[in-house]
Amino acid sequence: MKTLILGAVTAALLHITPTVILVKREDAVAKLLPGADQFAARELHLSSTDSRKLHDAVGWEPPDGVVTFYVGKHGDQTVGALVFMRVDCQHGPIELAIGYDPRGTIRGVEVTKATVEMKPWIVEALRAGLTNQYRGLAVAQAPNGAEKVKPQIGAMPGYMAELIDKGVMHAGAAYRLFYR
Amino acid sequence: MLYDLRHSDLRVRWLVTLLLATLGTSYLFGAWMVGLYAGFSPKAVAQTYGPAGEAHMAMQMPPDTTMVTERPVSMAEMGEEQHHVDVNLLVQDTHVHMPMYAVIAACLGLIALGLAIPRWASLSLIALLFAAPWLDFAGMWLTKLASPRFAIVTVAGGWAMALGYTIVAAVATYQMWWRKP
Repeated sequence: MKTLILGAVTAALLHITPTVILVKREDAVAKLLPGADQFAARELHLSSTDSRKLHDAVGWEPPDGVVTFYVGKHGDQTVGALVFMRVDCQHGPIELAIGYDPRGTIRGVEVTKATVEMKPWIVEALRAGLTNQYRGLAVAQAPNGAEKVKPQIGAMPGYMAELIDKGVMHAGAAYRLFYR
Repeated sequence: MLYDLRHSDLRVRWLVTLLLATLGTSYLFGAWMVGLYAGFSPKAVAQTYGPAGEAHMAMQMPPDTTMVTERPVSMAEMGEEQHHVDVNLLVQDTHVHMPMYAVIAACLGLIALGLAIPRWASLSLIALLFAAPWLDFAGMWLTKLASPRFAIVTVAGGWAMALGYTIVAAVATYQMWWRKP
């Protein structure tokens, strides 16, 4: 009994593990905005009404009311836009980079950060081809990568895939509603 | 004094020494981490825990209509994530760190009970050990919810934590291994 209690207390104290970088942000930018040599940060400071609109659409709003899209250009030509999106869960935060082409469809998704505990689950989901499921998705379409890879992976990687779906959905809603 | 560390069994002194050494090492890495992610000045702490960073102070309240600003950035700037702790992350940090700080303060407090120091000094030392984490997190929350000026409270909490540990470690080590009246 003592061991059980001690184990529970230890688990409670230590259940958020340190953050690990899965893909460097620079590498994610290079991959998702290929050829871009000029960048601009487009910051959307959302009004209360627009924050509520976003919340009504996807059940999420940026905690500080700001969504930042990074726009990539090559010469005068826009290569696309990218947003870093954080998804929190009881195991810690996951950071995603979601890249859009100029038409507004998803060019790619990279998982840039996770925690030590979540890393193997996320890697398993990625190996099952999770991020391939988002490529070419229009912002109005609901991402369902998790459903497609779940039969090939375990329960926790499946849960991670659901969280990644959620992050892609949040980014898509912000892009669809406010990115101009 | 509930027990006397100076004349305690060698095993107890060994345990206390190793505990202090381990905590000291973790404090050094803690200070390194603070330097990496938050900084030691009130301004840096305010940027980390403030409503949306000091740079966005003018935008603390949501604007009446959504505002879009655009500024050129370099690849390096996009790579450098400005570490900013929002409410959700602060809830998580408080939940994870407060119990651990309490355990550390309790361990150091138990060591303080065995030191040959006046009763008032012992009480003050225990108060300091527990006040430090309270100041640390109170400062973070007040910086977030009230004003960036409260960042100084977090800085004070950090220094109080270092001071409490240093006093306990120095006096305990001295009394256990050198001074034996």
